[in-house]
Amino acid sequence: MTDAALVEADARALEALRRKNSIIRRLLRDVPAALALAFLVLILVCALLAPWIAPHDPFANAMRLRLKAPGFVSPDGALYLLGTDAQGRDMLSRILYGLRATIGIGAIAVLCGGGLGVLIGTLSAYYRRLDTPLMRFVDVLLSFPSILFGLALAAVLGPGLFSLCVALSIAAIPTIARVARGAATVVMQQDYMEAGRALGLGDGALIWRYLLLNCGSTILIYATLQLGQSILLGSVLSFLGLGAQPPFAELGSMTADGRKFLQAFPHVATIPALTIFFIVLAFNVLGDALRDALDPKLRQ
Amino acid sequence: MHRKALAIANTLAPHSGASDGPQSNDYRGTVDDVFTLIVQRLIISIPVLLGVLLIGFLLLQVVPTDPAIILAGPTASQAEVAAIREQLGLDRPLWEQFALYLGRVLQFDLGRSMISNRPVLDELESTLGPTFELMLACLIWAIPVGIALGTQAARRRGQWTDRLIMAFSVAGVSMPIFVVGLLLIQYVGGAGLLPFQGRGGPLWTSSGLLHIVLPSLTLGAVFIGPVARMTRTSVLETLGADYVRTARAKGASERQVVLHHALRNALIPVVTLIGLQIGFLLGGAVVTETMFSWPGVGRMAVGAISSSDFPVAQGAIMVLAVSFIAINLVIDVFYGYLDPRIGQR
Repeated sequence: MTDAALVEADARALEALRRKNSIIRRLLRDVPAALALAFLVLILVCALLAPWIAPHDPFANAMRLRLKAPGFVSPDGALYLLGTDAQGRDMLSRILYGLRATIGIGAIAVLCGGGLGVLIGTLSAYYRRLDTPLMRFVDVLLSFPSILFGLALAAVLGPGLFSLCVALSIAAIPTIARVARGAATVVMQQDYMEAGRALGLGDGALIWRYLLLNCGSTILIYATLQLGQSILLGSVLSFLGLGAQPPFAELGSMTADGRKFLQAFPHVATIPALTIFFIVLAFNVLGDALRDALDPKLRQ
Repeated sequence: MHRKALAIANTLAPHSGASDGPQSNDYRGTVDDVFTLIVQRLIISIPVLLGVLLIGFLLLQVVPTDPAIILAGPTASQAEVAAIREQLGLDRPLWEQFALYLGRVLQFDLGRSMISNRPVLDELESTLGPTFELMLACLIWAIPVGIALGTQAARRRGQWTDRLIMAFSVAGVSMPIFVVGLLLIQYVGGAGLLPFQGRGGPLWTSSGLLHIVLPSLTLGAVFIGPVARMTRTSVLETLGADYVRTARAKGASERQVVLHHALRNALIPVVTLIGLQIGFLLGGAVVTETMFSWPGVGRMAVGAISSSDFPVAQGAIMVLAVSFIAINLVIDVFYGYLDPRIGQR
């Protein structure tokens, strides 16, 4: 009897999960969103395969070849599709490695900060007593302008990838915590939560099997979108010289490097800057389509 | 018939163009309500402020450089360093240092800069003005432009105007602020059209006005997008509301419906969004100030943190946090004015 009821409650929880998956399917029918997704997949593949597809060594200086325009062919016949930077390094190879760094830093931040955020959000939805103190804490985090956080951490830990990742993780906590709390609050009102509790399931099982499983997809989608924000913030901090240090290839610091030659050799700064812009744009287009898909009031 | 429809519209909408009827007076919050609201928000702000102070304090405690050694100079003896440590209270337990710090903060004593040896408050005093000036110069054009664009997009929903405005807004949100700054410095500043280095004096002088154009354009460019987007969503929602249908039914023109009935009520979430974006705007101001050598709090914080001048850094962080809380307080009160039902809760 109890087992049958447990199976029934589980089935309902799974059905709710399936309903959310149809939102993703609806999302893919939106042309700009599908294009954005395709672009992001392409970018991700390029980033992962960087060491194998990069045509040149991204760190090899060649002063003879410095600041060449895109499409330059060196005397020994090598093609530099996106030109070279101030140290004569191939821009295309550096962009590929830079994608790797920029996306990797963002992903680490979303994983760490998002994990903490989900913990805070679900706990504050599940234990109402914790709601106010936890959400106050989230407010404090939110009230700290994230760039300032990055600056302070860079001062404390020294500028570099570690402090950058810590700062970005902290910056990702409040958004994900709020999303997780919102999603979990909705799930908390579902009948199957009550049913699970009536069956005598412990808090841990209820949170893990019912609550997290059912807000999982929503949180995952928003966490993916937060990646765009983390990339944007990370590039800004790197641009200010607080993130990746030379000769490491990272899109924000590459833009800062190219800043000095903007007038005469605009490609050095604009190519990495536009790459960041298009990546974040793709994330935002995807996010918009998602918001429309989730809010039936705006859909015609 | 017309009067009755108007009365119904007034009951349904917190503000619906005509607000002089007896019904709407019942909805309006009194001065006492607003005062209670302010006191409530202030009390809520205290733990937030303490949290910010504590985080800032603890964060700066782990600074690897010993401030006493820096202050004493390279030739100082061990005893001299110890004396300075005692004088600064650095030899006491952390919580005691924090309590001492709080006590000093309450007396508006933020310590002295470790570099210029001037009181931190004096250092910060001259930077607050420029930062607020920059933020105001950004908001004063970005908010109206954003609201106008969003309203237009909602009115022309689905048409190419709407698509264009929304594409522009998404692009604005996705653009790293330094890219906007770089492009403006390069193509407008570099061409000698407008100055891009520092502040040109008070805003009522022509030099002051010219100097603020590029920084305020940079900061505003990333702010328009969210405002336009939120306005569009919100106006679309209110356009479907009952009181808008009532207003249409009583024969109000489309322009009147959009401007007086839909937009005014639609502004509530927009005001909230602006409040939420203030932290983002402060962060943007740090980058903008650094790029344009604008003498504001953000640039001072960057400078102080990179030179380990931690009394100034702490002061700057606190000033930024207090400004954030204060601006949100103002927005909460404004929010209560826009939707009087909130003040009465």
